[in-house]
Amino acid sequence: MIEAALPGAEVEVIDETGAGDHLRATVRAAQFEGLSRIDQHRLVKAAVKERFDDGQIHALSVKTEPSG
Amino acid sequence: MADAELKSKVEELIGANPVLLFMKGTPEEPRCGFSMRVVQVLDTLDVEYGAIDVLPALQPLREVTAEISDWQTFPQLYVNGELIGGADIVEEMFDSGELAEALGVEQPADTPQAAPAPAQSGPPGQSPPMQIE
Repeated sequence: MIEAALPGAEVEVIDETGAGDHLRATVRAAQFEGLSRIDQHRLVKAAVKERFDDGQIHALSVKTEPSG
Repeated sequence: MADAELKSKVEELIGANPVLLFMKGTPEEPRCGFSMRVVQVLDTLDVEYGAIDVLPALQPLREVTAEISDWQTFPQLYVNGELIGGADIVEEMFDSGELAEALGVEQPADTPQAAPAPAQSGPPGQSPPMQIE
């Protein structure tokens, strides 16, 4: 889902509780270059918004890195 | 649609406080682990900040911050009117020294940094991080 919104991104998602609703995502994307961290996170959160809205995800911890 | 009166009040607060934390609970008694982590970082940096407990008006404040900052989870740390981020970003920027820079304070010498610094005993002036059982 994140990969679809940010083509070329490297995404690693860890399921922290085993229940699939508390996730930790590390995202590396060229699209992050030049953006502040908050804007990088906004991109990731926008990409997964649907899953929050429908309740499939309750918590998502995000770490972003530009990849150049 | 966010409450217009609440929104202008929040905007006023963000403008009036150079460092402002919206959190669950209070700095003395955080009610959420993420909020506690941001409080610990700010205490470690020894900065003055305003803190607002969002719990009494959680949903209205979510709607307001969604409009103001396109962000609706708490905690939220604002510095000079700009949303810096929540706990993840605050900790990441603290570890890298960027947060101290943004706040115009010195990175404490005795805290772990992204690049491991040689062990050295700095002045023991900082208060220890808060412990919550």
